[in-house]
Amino acid sequence: MSNFKQTQGYKIIENWMAEKNQTPFSFQIQTWERYHNNFSGMVVAPTGFGKTFSVFLAVVIDYFNNQNSYKKGLKLIWVSPLRSLAKDLAKAMNTAVDEIGLDWTVEVRNGDTPTKDRRRQERAMPDVILTTPETLHLLFSQKKNSRWFKNVNCIAVDEWHELLGSKRGVITEIAIARIRNLSPKTRIWGISATIGNLEEAKNVLIPYDVKTTMIRAKEKKKIDIISLLPDEVEELSWAGHLGKTMSSKIIPIIYENTTTLIFTNTRNQSELWYQILIEEEPDLIGQIAIHHGSIDKVQRNFIEEAISNGLLKAVVCTSSLDLGVDFKPVDCVIQIGSAKGIARFMQRAGRSGHSPFERSKIYAVPTHSLQLIEVAAVKEAVKQNEIESRIPYVLTYDVLVQFLVTLAVGEGFKADETFELVKEIHAFHYLTKEEFDWCIHFITQGGNTLKAYEEFHKVVLDEDGFYRVKSRRIAMMHRMNIGVIVSEVMLFVKFFSGGYIGMVEEYFISKLKKGDAFILGGRVLEMKQIKDMIVLVKRSQKKKAITPSWMGGSLPLTSYLTHFLRLKLSDALTPNNREKELKFLHPLLKRQEANSHIPKHDEFLVELIETKEGFHLFAYPFEGRLVHEIMASLIAYRISKIVKRTFTIAQNDYGFELLSDQEIPLNEENIAEIFSKENLIQDVTASINASEMASRKFRDIAVVAGLVIQTQPGNRKSNKSLQSSSGLIFRVLNDHEPNNLLLKQAYNEVFDYELEKVRLQSAFKRISESKIILKRAQNFTPLSFPLKVDSLRGTMSNEDLNKRIERIQKQALKA
Amino acid sequence: MSKPLVIISKKILCKDEVLEVTNQRVLYWEAQKSLILSDLHIGKSAHFQKSGIPIPKDVLTTDLERLKQLILHFKAENLIIVGDLFHAEYNADLDEFKEWLLQFENLQLQLIKGNHDRLSNKIYEQFNIEVFKSELNINTLKFVHDPEEEINDYFTISGHVHPGVFIKGKGKQRIKLPCFQVTENQLILPAFSLFTGLNTRQSLKKCKNYCFTDDGIFEL
Repeated sequence: MSNFKQTQGYKIIENWMAEKNQTPFSFQIQTWERYHNNFSGMVVAPTGFGKTFSVFLAVVIDYFNNQNSYKKGLKLIWVSPLRSLAKDLAKAMNTAVDEIGLDWTVEVRNGDTPTKDRRRQERAMPDVILTTPETLHLLFSQKKNSRWFKNVNCIAVDEWHELLGSKRGVITEIAIARIRNLSPKTRIWGISATIGNLEEAKNVLIPYDVKTTMIRAKEKKKIDIISLLPDEVEELSWAGHLGKTMSSKIIPIIYENTTTLIFTNTRNQSELWYQILIEEEPDLIGQIAIHHGSIDKVQRNFIEEAISNGLLKAVVCTSSLDLGVDFKPVDCVIQIGSAKGIARFMQRAGRSGHSPFERSKIYAVPTHSLQLIEVAAVKEAVKQNEIESRIPYVLTYDVLVQFLVTLAVGEGFKADETFELVKEIHAFHYLTKEEFDWCIHFITQGGNTLKAYEEFHKVVLDEDGFYRVKSRRIAMMHRMNIGVIVSEVMLFVKFFSGGYIGMVEEYFISKLKKGDAFILGGRVLEMKQIKDMIVLVKRSQKKKAITPSWMGGSLPLTSYLTHFLRLKLSDALTPNNREKELKFLHPLLKRQEANSHIPKHDEFLVELIETKEGFHLFAYPFEGRLVHEIMASLIAYRISKIVKRTFTIAQNDYGFELLSDQEIPLNEENIAEIFSKENLIQDVTASINASEMASRKFRDIAVVAGLVIQTQPGNRKSNKSLQSSSGLIFRVLNDHEPNNLLLKQAYNEVFDYELEKVRLQSAFKRISESKIILKRAQNFTPLSFPLKVDSLRGTMSNEDLNKRIERIQKQALKA
Repeated sequence: MSKPLVIISKKILCKDEVLEVTNQRVLYWEAQKSLILSDLHIGKSAHFQKSGIPIPKDVLTTDLERLKQLILHFKAENLIIVGDLFHAEYNADLDEFKEWLLQFENLQLQLIKGNHDRLSNKIYEQFNIEVFKSELNINTLKFVHDPEEEINDYFTISGHVHPGVFIKGKGKQRIKLPCFQVTENQLILPAFSLFTGLNTRQSLKKCKNYCFTDDGIFEL
């Protein structure tokens, strides 16, 4: 250490900080020193403690110490998942560089960069560039791009935990591999928040044979978690959705604090809550705003600026504000409903009290009674510092195909060299030569059957051994489709008089008629006309309006959270003094215990309830909605093997329901077998419609691999003659080319992500080790009630298609 | 090469003519020995291929094989195509179609041009297709591409929209099927090609939907 502290570079930085009355955190010094000693690595630190400067200044110090080994051009590539972060970060870095007296230029390059700046950068790259993974791939698709990366010293990946666990993580891994290939001395550094699998995260980022290190900040963010309770337990519905009654409790909190961020889980809920709050407290109009992914970018920037300047008391938002620039005035966060995961809950809490030694404050507002147990569970998890892992994607052939075409559009590539490069990437460690060859074949010949694709010439093998894209049109279309973020078809919403409000899904707007009113961005709008992918509207005076429901947004509870949930429920009847949530719920819990049972942590509860509606089976694995959906189909399937039955299925994050019009043949004798872990995957495969689920997964894959051309919102040219749905292509490939690797990937993704195979298996293992409790109740129990009203319903049936249609037809005729 | 087709048909009265809807996306008019169909989109797979999107060409081959079996089954002498025979430019798929046509020496083809049929008339001549710019009238039947407002003197037969229905059952059961849409004065054909999407927006009033599967027809 002492050696390093003697270096000129370190002294310059130490002096610079001293002038500002700052001393470096010890994890920063540690990072600088390790970087100095040629390590790659990962820095783990909470936000607000200067983790940016840990890596950035490491490069600066190294530059001062080894100026001779640095060449002109790009030295540091700073990758972050969000565009919005880049601008502020560049400003901070530029200020630092100026004050230190360094002649570096720091610039942003991403989708928002004006064309003239891009051209200038392409002529002479800055010393530091802040960018996104997608933009790096776009650079790879340019002619003669490798010259820009020849002298890169460091590639830093900010918020790596956000990228890991998504396909964006894979394209980041690929970008690193290529840059390292062009500039072998490049050091790789990641910056991450705490997650459950840090060691794995580091190895995914840096799978190379280099010295690596992990630096963890000792500094910790202090979080206060406060649950907001109604006056009486009865006031909170057993099931409910919105928790509207809680609004009177929220208003005082807004007034007590400077600026409050109010997180909801979906865009739909944020619109509704915005309306509820201004109805409850009209004085807030003008001081409260709404922010979500479908609101126009200009307006979102405007809102974000207003938050920074302390002009707003409160902002109702969705995950759109989970990440991003720090808002100094924010000193309070409210989470409405379940945050679905511990990491997410903490991330949101951390949006308040941003400077290093302030505390973060978060209020949890339950939308139904059982969510209070969840709050208790989150508190416990935070206390024990248990946080979810992010599981990296592997063998994403769609991303590989896209990358190969990107290279072919850019400088062209040679198959063998590229295979070597790709094999080093974590995501493709297990890629076989056959699979790689298939990908090459796919982009050059189209598919397996040689003759079937005579008109297909996407990528061509030149005589010099390079694969290249020759057609300008194909190159252009490919560039427009680079990236892995696949969105619904969205339409812009715009006032007749001018001014954009935001975006809605085509699916939603297709259900509206001219003159109908709907809510967007907190405003009631009347739909007038649709033209060129733009919805023209005017303000509406109508009181009643529809709130768009955007697809997606409902995540299942994570397995970490459900683990703590089971523990909390287990001793819910004997809470300790500090657990006011459980104490508050006592009357309800007692009713559950009296009418049925409260499952202990080593028990598994199943309830059989008979009502006018029919015969219900309720089971409570507490494994999150996705797993329950699969479990429900599976159990329905296994019961149907005893006697043929058609079930209606419902599920939520706590359990699932099977409803039948006839008695369900489940009893103490056969229950263990019905819930057995034997033959699990075979039975699952038999019980679900895997091809339908795969078809849904294929949607993203088809776009990423370039089989479906995405239409950008507001884009007039929509490539009409090339439009087709991924569902259609899935069907065609399924019929004609069942060995297509992209199809295989879709099925794999169904099992890994949709069915959460690993989680499903461990759930059944746990159940098989638990004591199974079967209870018969006369009426709905507090645990079963939320399930009963849950709207997510599906039907499991083993009748064949034609019979089903006949039956549905009869039902339809009756209605 | 492919499994035998199950052809199921059902006679319906369209004004004064008896027509048969089938579960194979065609209408048969026995009195005229005509098969009526729409939206073949020949050339679509090759068009996609040219743009770098690999769609198997077998798509066309199976469509044509199905049409062949239908022609043989009904012993049809005419094909009336109510538009969108060709998807885009002249490409290899069209050559395959030309080759395929050779096996039916006496088959007559009549095409009412659709929005996709933008090739020059010379090309249609090469294929021996009689082309009608906007409509063809036979008896009280009027063939057009785009469904039009109802006129009481004629019974209109069209295509273009690729009609389909969502069948909703209890719970969240949903099945999407192609269909024929039939009212008192008009009929809209489903798209013949399997490489086409479905439009489930219902625009007609008092409309019967004949939807179908590989082995059945259902009236909704």
